[in-house]
Amino acid sequence: MFDYIWLVPVFPAIGVLINGLLGRRIEAVSKHLIHWIACGMIALSFTVTCVIFYQLLQLPGDQRFYQVTCLDWIQSGVLQTYIAYQIDPLSMMMAMFVIGIGFLIHIYSIGYMWEDEGRYYRFFVYLNLFMFSMINLILANNYLLMFLGWEGVGLCSYLLIGFWFDDEANAIAGKKAFITNRVGDFAFLIGMFLLFTGLGEHGVWSLQFSEVFTHVHYLSQSQATMICLLFFIGCTAKSAQIPLYVWLPDAMAGPTPVSALIHAATMVTSGVYMISRSNVLFSMSPFAMGVVATVGALTAIFAASIGLVQNDIKKVLAYSTVSQLGYMFLGLGVGAFAAGMFHVLTHAFFKALLFLGSGAVIHSMHHAYHKVHCHDDPQDMRNMGGLKAKTPITFWTFLIATLAISGIPGFSGFFSKDEILWQAWSSPQGSWILWLIGAVAAGMTAFYMFRLVFMTFFNECRAGEACEHIHESPPSMTGPLCVLAFLAAVGGYLGVPHALGGSNLFHQFLEPVMGLGDGKLLHDATQAASHGVEHAAQAAGHLMHAAAGHVAEAAGHAAEGAEHGGESMFMEYLLMVVSVALACFGILIAYIFYIRKREIPAALAEKYSFIHRLLLNKWYVDELYDLVIISPLRGFAYFLWRGVDVGVVDYIVNGVARVVGWGSSVVRYIQSGYVQSYAVSVVFGTVVLLAYYFLKAL
Amino acid sequence: MELVFILICGGLAAIASLLVIFARSTLHSALWMVVSFFMVAVIYVLLHAQFLAMLQIIVYAGAIMMFILYAIMMLNLRREQDEKVPVRNSKIFGLVALVVLFMELVMVALQHGVEAIHGPITDQLVQAHGRVAVLSNFLFSDYLLPFEVASILLTAGVVGAVVLAKRTK
Amino acid sequence: MIDNQSVYLAISIILFVIGAAGAICRRNAIVVFMCIEIMLAGVSIAFVTFSRANQSLDGIFMVLFVMAVAAAEAAVGLAIFVLMYRKHGSIDLDKFNLMKW
Repeated sequence: MFDYIWLVPVFPAIGVLINGLLGRRIEAVSKHLIHWIACGMIALSFTVTCVIFYQLLQLPGDQRFYQVTCLDWIQSGVLQTYIAYQIDPLSMMMAMFVIGIGFLIHIYSIGYMWEDEGRYYRFFVYLNLFMFSMINLILANNYLLMFLGWEGVGLCSYLLIGFWFDDEANAIAGKKAFITNRVGDFAFLIGMFLLFTGLGEHGVWSLQFSEVFTHVHYLSQSQATMICLLFFIGCTAKSAQIPLYVWLPDAMAGPTPVSALIHAATMVTSGVYMISRSNVLFSMSPFAMGVVATVGALTAIFAASIGLVQNDIKKVLAYSTVSQLGYMFLGLGVGAFAAGMFHVLTHAFFKALLFLGSGAVIHSMHHAYHKVHCHDDPQDMRNMGGLKAKTPITFWTFLIATLAISGIPGFSGFFSKDEILWQAWSSPQGSWILWLIGAVAAGMTAFYMFRLVFMTFFNECRAGEACEHIHESPPSMTGPLCVLAFLAAVGGYLGVPHALGGSNLFHQFLEPVMGLGDGKLLHDATQAASHGVEHAAQAAGHLMHAAAGHVAEAAGHAAEGAEHGGESMFMEYLLMVVSVALACFGILIAYIFYIRKREIPAALAEKYSFIHRLLLNKWYVDELYDLVIISPLRGFAYFLWRGVDVGVVDYIVNGVARVVGWGSSVVRYIQSGYVQSYAVSVVFGTVVLLAYYFLKAL
Repeated sequence: MELVFILICGGLAAIASLLVIFARSTLHSALWMVVSFFMVAVIYVLLHAQFLAMLQIIVYAGAIMMFILYAIMMLNLRREQDEKVPVRNSKIFGLVALVVLFMELVMVALQHGVEAIHGPITDQLVQAHGRVAVLSNFLFSDYLLPFEVASILLTAGVVGAVVLAKRTK
Repeated sequence: MIDNQSVYLAISIILFVIGAAGAICRRNAIVVFMCIEIMLAGVSIAFVTFSRANQSLDGIFMVLFVMAVAAAEAAVGLAIFVLMYRKHGSIDLDKFNLMKW
């Protein structure tokens, strides 16, 4: 069955072709056929993935690796690239949840997009195209094919953000996303070139993962750092990290299913996936890892701070996504690749759920407003409130997701987030500062998420006469909500840490992939130990193992009796309690602010108006970029247009035309039309030719 | 002796040619052209190309001359209309260019005098087989293709002339 | 002492240039046509001269084909003149500038 992995990307491609080429006609016949085709293809794809995943699980851990070469792609000298897919725990884990959630969101889109006349088919074409690209990104066994998917998802993101392009703001948001992503893509590409030539110097002309990672030791330290940093810049654009995160909040202009699928659950995590995939490479460069961790932590707290005061329900979720992505990079940066991926998984569940829930809310609000012909913003939380009774399913599922993201014990977000925080504290690349930033950001997350819940679902309805018309969304929308709610609640039990008596299945599963970077990390660990870290070298080594995903082993060693193990266990408990306490504190404040004493936020905003305005305006980052980058670029472009293009290029072109015109007006007298004049020309030509030969003979 | 003949014939040919140009009447021009072509035929004979000389007389002085005379008759052209048309600059320029061309050609003739290459057609050969026999041997072997092409050309010319001159109703 | 061949070539050149001058200057199309024939005759003399000097028949054949072309040219050219006269009532070349478009 492994050899049929190509079916997974091919099914969505078929959907794209059918709906893309015939969609207009199909839609004229039956709208149902459109979504049957689109969802059916993803369902088929998902089925194949499930079978392959099951078969992968049947294999022993160290044999879970398989490559399938489907087609020749670019065969040019030393560059031999294939359309080839790789089956290993990491790619299959990713494929499972991406296609699974993708399928749910396809179904959800049926309800959400149903009333979009004439563009229904296009939406599903784009979604299928996105799935195709994303699957290529995930399953690729070389960087180039990954890059193809990487670009493909960027394109789909652009198309879907600007899906309602009749509103210019949406089109601009799409452009912003696309252009920002180009910056990152460019860096990724350069990194790839460097990697290719860097290894090529040593005779390894390949971009295939397995080849690259077995020969990665050929790279010098500085080369590895350079490549990693360039890759990471690619990630900052795709996964919305400082400084290239600005496009993601604006990307919420797209339809909500898109926000859920692309800008929360799957595409934006591809940066995390890419770094996890390249963990061997990144392990070579502690500096790059430090950069990743720092940027991740800063993004986490920075975006969370903006999320505190936003009023647009989707904007809050957008900043929350940026913040959570920051967590993932924090995890990656401290060497906890598996923990980062674990958070990707749980985040995909609860954030997709949050977005779909918010979509359901917006859908309801929109309908209610539509009924009473009111043109208020259906996304503004200040217009909501009291939806708990009117949309119960949405409320309960939303609440589960909120609990999960806030890190309340028992829900999925708790396990993954705490693992990252623990690694941020304990791993040699980590430090207490990183942990502190993460923990505070966690508290803020809890606050703004519950602020969202309280403002939306509790208290009285503030939508005026539209309130009576608010009701629950159709089953095609609530169905996926329930499935995702289940996953968001229990998804975390895949990776219960040893400290809580679990066996951390998730880490064991990913171990074959993440373990590759081990040797290098071990090296770093001994270094760290010699620098006077309190742990004994042995214990530190074990902790290093943990950092690379060897929690099982490490815990085993710890259990063997080193008191360090016990000590670290105690620390782990302590940190867990602290972060949970911070989260509860955040919830409590949200409760006081938005249920109990609702005058406080306004009073605070007035009192600290400077900070409030700063946060409300997103730290003025957009304005700063506008000032520093966009305006100069615009000016430069204007100069190129007016100065260079019109002044020089056009001038030359027009000048050439004018010279030719003038010359022709002179030469035209030769063409008199009289035969004898032409005879004279012939004679003259003969004279010149003969003269030429004479002169030559001289 | 030969040189005298050459000079006389050449001079006559040149004079006749000039008279072709300067004759007022088209008919006179045509007659002077016949004279000129006769002189050219004599020069061919002097150059031991008797066959060509005969052809020259038959084709030019006979056939083409007839064409021209017919044309003059049909067009009823006795003399050029003496409208005073200003001479175009290009003609003057052309004459100047011709003078230069003349000098250049003379220089060519003087600088690169003909050096005898001893080809296969010696006088002995010609005397042994006869001039026309040698000629036709070559014409119908080595030059067969151009010969046939020339025949097609002539046919095309005849057809073209008929088509063009036919009075369309 | 001028050798004979140079004299032949001189005659050839003179005939050619005279013909060319007539072809350029005369306005009557038929006279122009005759002048062109004179030019051809001049060139033919040069061909025959070289043919004789090189003991080869190539020049003679060239003249033969020149004659064939001249005959065809005469047929077509004169037909064109007749046509021109029929259309415009004149064969004055200065009155035709049809090649200017």
